Amino acid sequence: MDYARKPLADALAAQYVAGTLRGAARRRFEALLPGHPALQAAVADWQARLMPLTSVLDDVPPPPHTWERIAQRLWPAPPAAAVEPASWWRGLALWRALAGTATVAALALAVLLARPDAALPPVVVVLQPTGKDPAMDGSMVASFSADGRAAVARPVRAVAVRPDRTLQLWWATAEGKPRSLGLIRGDGTTVLRAGALPGGLQGSGIDHMAVSVEPPGGSPTGQPTGPVVFYGKLAP
Amino acid sequence: MNTPAADWSDRSRELAQQLARSALGDRSAFQRVYALSSGHLFAVILRIQRDRSLAEDLLQEVYVNAWKAAGSFDAQRAQPLTWLTHIARNKAIDSLRRAQAQPRLEPLHRGDDDDDGGPSAAERVADDAPGPAALLERASDARQLGQCMQGLSAQQRQSVALAFFDGLSHAEVAQQLRQPLGTVKSWVRRALATLKACLERAAQADGAVEG
Repeated sequence: MDYARKPLADALAAQYVAGTLRGAARRRFEALLPGHPALQAAVADWQARLMPLTSVLDDVPPPPHTWERIAQRLWPAPPAAAVEPASWWRGLALWRALAGTATVAALALAVLLARPDAALPPVVVVLQPTGKDPAMDGSMVASFSADGRAAVARPVRAVAVRPDRTLQLWWATAEGKPRSLGLIRGDGTTVLRAGALPGGLQGSGIDHMAVSVEPPGGSPTGQPTGPVVFYGKLAP
Repeated sequence: MNTPAADWSDRSRELAQQLARSALGDRSAFQRVYALSSGHLFAVILRIQRDRSLAEDLLQEVYVNAWKAAGSFDAQRAQPLTWLTHIARNKAIDSLRRAQAQPRLEPLHRGDDDDDGGPSAAERVADDAPGPAALLERASDARQLGQCMQGLSAQQRQSVALAFFDGLSHAEVAQQLRQPLGTVKSWVRRALATLKACLERAAQADGAVEG
């Protein structure tokens, strides 16, 4: 069929908008629409003609929970497991807010105070620049929930990473080899995988952390291969 | 009190602004879009999909789609309420098709030949809901559209009303009106053609007056 032929396009569009074009014919018509401006124009005309007919319908208010369901589908909240980390995560916002606005700090503090159930405070590790790469200045903050189940990392100020390089975060015990916590962003917050610290924060024996510059995808050897640009020791 | 037509265009003006902000990711603007339009869209969907819990699901899908497509809405080319209503009608009509493909569900528009005591499509309309023909009568305050509707024969009007408001297919309209399928098809076709010609004449007349 030649859908560009105007009377045909118009007749099909009319039946489509009126709702009488059904089944396979309706699906075919919808599949054709994106590629046929003439059909689109005919549909738009018929919509303008017929849709105002529905203005005579009395509104039927949907049940009150409908909006919440829509909002949940569009902007899902973090999964339930992440609820607890979310409260200490704000601690990071608080920390960051030292250089930012008092409003954010007050808000974060309020959130922390409102959650007395978070029995142990999160551990925040500040990683200072080592000076091996002058472009990597400022500092990097890593924060762990007290149970070690969740962690986030972020630069206090965005650091520029070459497009063919990536940042990798490591942790190590006092004597042991570094172990990867994952790749992190130089320009924002990275949520690290849960359970990255075996035995939790206390049981892992973590002593210090470091950030190295690695090829895309991370260190190919499992050990830092590029320069260590940030380093931080956990307070005993 | 506002006529439905005046209310339609008032709502459309604010909706156009809120949709534009929604396209930029403004969630509170989208919540306003919902507040302004959900009652209307739910009414439109419920006329077609009478299963209330299915209708609620469809309404959610409509707004999920609308949020994602807000960037493609062009206020120069379409009225926002027209755009949203079309999404809602499409979802509702498609849900009838899906329901028919699922034998587990009871038929949505039962014909008179079903003698198992189930309500007919007409009887399923909630008691206080006006019938499709009554809705077209009301459309007479929707200015030109209403006037043009008056130009249709009673049978044409009834066929269009059943199809448009209640989402009945040609075959279902034929069953409802106890008329041959071919007859109903041509009533609907002619009704739409008459409507179009009438609206175009009216638009030209308006243009002549203004010019």
